[in-house]
Amino acid sequence: MNWTEILAFTRGPLFQVALVIFVAGMLYRLVRVLMLGWQKDKVPAKGSKAVGVVKSFLKGLLIFPFIPWVKRTFTKNPVIYLAGGLFHLSLFVVLILGAAHMLVWKSLLGFGWWTLPLPIVDWMAAVGIVAMVALFINRLFNPVLKLLTGPAEWLNLAFVFLPMVSGYMLTHHLFFRYEVMFSIHMLTVDFLLIWIPLSRISHFMFYFFSRAIHGQEFGKRAVNP
Amino acid sequence: MAEDSIYERLKQQGVTRRDFLKLCGAVAGAIGLSGLPPVQASGLPVTLARSGYKARDQVARVLETKSRLPVIWLEFQDCAGCTEALSRSHSPTLVNLVLNAITVEYHETLSAAAGFQAEGAKHNAMEKYAGQYVLVVEGSIPMALDGAYCTIGGRSALDILKESAAGAAAIIATGNCAAFGGLPKAKPNPTDAKGVWEIVTDKPVVNIPGCPAIPEVFTAVVAHFLVFGALPELDSLNRPKTFYGKTIHDRCLRRPFYEAGKFALSYDDEGAKEGWCLYKLGCKGPTTYNACASLKWDGGLSFPIQAGHPCLGCSEPGFWDGGGFYQGQSAPLSRPDLTVVGAAAAAGAVAGVAVGAANQAQKKAAKKAEKAK
Repeated sequence: MNWTEILAFTRGPLFQVALVIFVAGMLYRLVRVLMLGWQKDKVPAKGSKAVGVVKSFLKGLLIFPFIPWVKRTFTKNPVIYLAGGLFHLSLFVVLILGAAHMLVWKSLLGFGWWTLPLPIVDWMAAVGIVAMVALFINRLFNPVLKLLTGPAEWLNLAFVFLPMVSGYMLTHHLFFRYEVMFSIHMLTVDFLLIWIPLSRISHFMFYFFSRAIHGQEFGKRAVNP
Repeated sequence: MAEDSIYERLKQQGVTRRDFLKLCGAVAGAIGLSGLPPVQASGLPVTLARSGYKARDQVARVLETKSRLPVIWLEFQDCAGCTEALSRSHSPTLVNLVLNAITVEYHETLSAAAGFQAEGAKHNAMEKYAGQYVLVVEGSIPMALDGAYCTIGGRSALDILKESAAGAAAIIATGNCAAFGGLPKAKPNPTDAKGVWEIVTDKPVVNIPGCPAIPEVFTAVVAHFLVFGALPELDSLNRPKTFYGKTIHDRCLRRPFYEAGKFALSYDDEGAKEGWCLYKLGCKGPTTYNACASLKWDGGLSFPIQAGHPCLGCSEPGFWDGGGFYQGQSAPLSRPDLTVVGAAAAAGAVAGVAVGAANQAQKKAAKKAEKAK
């Protein structure tokens, strides 16, 4: 088995299997959460819940990232706030606005979009990797995080970190031949896809739910029973 | 039989000493010997050149003393495109020299003889030059039905290959078909086509994949064998490192546009007219190892990417099944079947509903039990 065949396997059958497991797993998780049920709201609301939800999203995405110092989450844990924020921004830029990744979306969805020039995507990838390392070190030494961190959290870090590093090495042709790095990148991505539904990385989906629920709580302006 | 040396033969054809040495220099350059500026620039040992060593002279010495290299050229499941490319090559000096330096004893497309005469000539050559001749194979070998898919003179390709390989000094598999199975091996591979090196394992096999193989690469490998009596350094897929050491992407003239994020999005948009990168049109340059971007075709005139077409990756194993030619390189090989994805999603949802319902029932039961207390 040569590397071209390994690449064909990781880009082909393995990726498909991983994608199918990812879709099935995420739907399972979603249905499970939905079936936990909504608590009936018996208190008349003075404000609008919908407005609360919209405000919550807008604040979280457009306002607080630019004035982080007003938030206690920032002043108490600046490393997590900054590194975490930059990490997520980097993920968005690289995965959505990188040419190579856009072509993956295009092949899956059937349509593509505008992409950023490689040097910008490249710098953002580097930022993401540095942020990831900072978060890792923080997790190693922060006394509170130490208590909260188990094997699953370390695995989360590893599963996310490996595709990022292998992807960076791939675009820069570092250490190995291109198809070798490509295979490793695809392999780690396949593992990540399978791992996501099993882990808390699934917050990429549940984040929007929790933000919506918090938003309506903020918006309704009523006494909670 | 004491044949004339290659130089003697060239002299008889009216080649002057000056022209001869020029050709030697060209050969030395083609096989990557040091002493020529481009070779020095590529980082090969310069010490050789400094100490008065002249690669050209080494080549000249060999061509002055050695007689022509006997070659037997077999064609199996092929289109003769590699032969066409070689015989119509636009770099006549080099190719002429090598074609002068070899004596093709058997070639189905080029030989005047046919039928039993041609087969007889081949057998004579194989006996006469046993252990010395270079076997060139063009086209893949079918393994299904005991090789019945390709027979020549009533014998299967597999049979002929094994017989000819036994007495060969070295084997050159030219083109993707002979090297990796090529088009005949594309799914569903009805003939169970295979490349030469999957069948012949006890002889040195050098693969010169490409569709067709670059003529200059073929001539350089032959020249290398002639000068050193051995095959050049090979990579893990048995391709000569000199020519298959870098990807098309690495040496592509459109590479700066890739770095700058300037891509052609169709074949007639502004980007295509400006000569921007063809990555988004499905160029396989990043994973394709070949010399197209540096040697180019037709005597250095152009190559597909320069002419505005993305690289198909024709020097890589299984390139016919390596995803759509016009689909982005980074994209997965194929989209998962929508029904499979739908079924998986449904299965996930059903499992979620089942477990969720079970949980709810358990909760209700627990509440009832608490109330009853």
